[in-house]
Amino acid sequence: MIGRWIVGIAFFLHASPRYRHSKKFFHNLLENPSYPYKKFFDYTMMVLIAMSVYILILHVKHDVNPQWLFFNNYVVSLIFLVEYLLRLWVYSDTSKVIIEEYEHDLFLQRPFRWVSTLRLIGVKKLEYVVSPSAIIDLLAIMPFFHEMRLLRVFILFRVFKLFRYAKSLTQFLSILSSKKFELFTLAVFATVIIIVSSVLIYVMEANNPASPINTLFDALYWSVVTIFTVGYGDLVPVTTEGRTVAMAIIVAGIAVISFATSIVVSAFTEKLDEIKEDKLIEDVSKIDRFYLICGYTPLAYQIASRFKKSGKKAVILEKDPEKVAQAQKEGFLALAFDSGSLHSYHALRIDFEKQVISVILLQESDVYNIYTALTIRELSKNVSLLSILVHNENRRKLSLAGIDEIVYTQELIGLISKEVSGRPVAFEVIHALRSENNGVFMDEIGLDSVMAKRFFDTCRLPLFHKRLIVLGVYKTKEKMFFFNPPENVVIHERDVAIVIGTRALIDEFKTLLHKKGRR
Amino acid sequence: MKYRSAIVFGFNEYAKQIALQIVHEYESFVVFAMNENERQAAETAGFETEHFDLGEDWKSIEERFNPNDLIVFCALDNDAENVFLTISLRSTFEELPIIALAGDQESAAKMKSAGANKVMSILQITANVITEMLEKPTVTEVLHDILYENSSLKIAQITVPRGSFLVGKHLYDIDWAGEYDVLVLAIVDHELSATFSFTARGHNHHIDPDDILVVVGYEDKIAALTMLMGVENV
Repeated sequence: MIGRWIVGIAFFLHASPRYRHSKKFFHNLLENPSYPYKKFFDYTMMVLIAMSVYILILHVKHDVNPQWLFFNNYVVSLIFLVEYLLRLWVYSDTSKVIIEEYEHDLFLQRPFRWVSTLRLIGVKKLEYVVSPSAIIDLLAIMPFFHEMRLLRVFILFRVFKLFRYAKSLTQFLSILSSKKFELFTLAVFATVIIIVSSVLIYVMEANNPASPINTLFDALYWSVVTIFTVGYGDLVPVTTEGRTVAMAIIVAGIAVISFATSIVVSAFTEKLDEIKEDKLIEDVSKIDRFYLICGYTPLAYQIASRFKKSGKKAVILEKDPEKVAQAQKEGFLALAFDSGSLHSYHALRIDFEKQVISVILLQESDVYNIYTALTIRELSKNVSLLSILVHNENRRKLSLAGIDEIVYTQELIGLISKEVSGRPVAFEVIHALRSENNGVFMDEIGLDSVMAKRFFDTCRLPLFHKRLIVLGVYKTKEKMFFFNPPENVVIHERDVAIVIGTRALIDEFKTLLHKKGRR
Repeated sequence: MKYRSAIVFGFNEYAKQIALQIVHEYESFVVFAMNENERQAAETAGFETEHFDLGEDWKSIEERFNPNDLIVFCALDNDAENVFLTISLRSTFEELPIIALAGDQESAAKMKSAGANKVMSILQITANVITEMLEKPTVTEVLHDILYENSSLKIAQITVPRGSFLVGKHLYDIDWAGEYDVLVLAIVDHELSATFSFTARGHNHHIDPDDILVVVGYEDKIAALTMLMGVENV
């Protein structure tokens, strides 16, 4: 009977879109770093922690408004409690576990064993409860700690809670946790030395009336202060034996400090590349629109430089770390990822539809470019793909791999050679326009309805007359280019005007085309 | 200036594409191959070939072609060899138009210093075209049509002859678009110096004989303007 109830509720919750939506929302809010609203939640919690700690510190020596104390003891604690319970809730999918267990039992043709299922769920939830961060959360909830002096130490747990919300702090902890064994060894070493030295100094000093070290606690305090090289000097050994022990402990103390420093430094050194890579991945996820360049070759350098110059964002994926380092040295956003692997894009969390303007495949092998194209096509059917073609016989294969634009450099050079030999000056002019190094640009202006209406009026303005060359208008609907269009050509929305002029003049032209009501 | 003969040095994929594009533009066209493999490949592709090495004194060129009516393309695989070839040709033929391929900008500068009249930097040209294709697809399409396709819209360079009605006028005095249906993109003083200036820069250039106008327009309109200017052999 109880089992049937449990299964019924589990199926109901599993099928309820509202329940699932809520759970997903809270999971994202609490645990998903890429969820856009998580940072607002984290900031709110950090402010609450800061306020709470401030009130507690203020309360040590001053009178605090009872309302603030109430806020601190109960409201903040209640918020922390709700957060704790939500985290417990989203940690595992209880309804899914019940359904799986129920179906498992059904398949084996035996009655649903709800007790063992509940135990399974309990074990899973306990996993969360005993995790260090959950323990800190739980201790930070305690609203009464400030009432008892000793329990003020719990204030620390509210500060520790900050680790949850500040990424750099989490990273610091994870780096240290990678050296668990070394830190544990250090702790054992330090503990043994402290115990031995405490006992020794107690034995040597406690019976001497002139010695300030009279109890075992005094001995322990002195040992800790000495071994960690603080040495307040409030308690000092006075016997020769005691001082001999002190000398040995001072030397051991230096060893402990050096050991601790080397562990932390080596942990950071080992993780440095990982930290840098995480930072780059985060940077990439923050870019709204960018070109994705696969392969860092000399051509990729040229293209990335041009994007950089024109203020466009480009991300380079290259599996050779040396080339990546070179690209980063040149100031490009480059990541050591294999562009042909699906795993790379999952790790980078690239949203092709929203973020990527176009993928440019520049590896010096048709095989790799095709492989990368097929990988990307698995993730996005729509993103525009451009690739260089290394061997002409592979052209069709590149097309079949879903590449939209193919650039065969050799053919391009052949075509240009014809121009150079026949019309060298014309070639120079076009080349200069293309390289945009002469201060004169050839630009295309997509026209909206207002711009289309004002097009000829704006062209006639004395500012542009003669100095801005309107090469023509590309009629998108008719797919035709109208060179030097006469004024009786009707310009429509989404038509594209091609103009040649200085950057300032083209920008002014665009501005005036936009401005409604002028002239 | 239209030359009658052309030579392409080397026969890699770049040289092959150059050869395919220009072979019909010249009365005589020969591929100079550095090794037997290249020579055979060129012959298989249907080109007339000749063997050369970098230590040549270029007697074969002098015997076979009129250097004043010849244009050469240096398209060897290796940039260093291409520079050497360029300087070697220039040391023998002072006036020979040499067009050289360069892998990158660094080699391009060396080829210029070695005496090449025009240097095509492969990387830079490809990068320009790729970025243009991505950022200005319409411009790319229109330029491609004007430059390489059999569209009636063309780009041309017209040398202003002595006695032309244009001589003595200023560039902006003439309504090129309205009267002749052409657009003047640039003007240059002397063809080989390549010191052109864009008309869009705003300088109202004084037109002199031998100035070169770079114009875009329909073939018939360019021909009409050329005739009107009094250019012979249109």
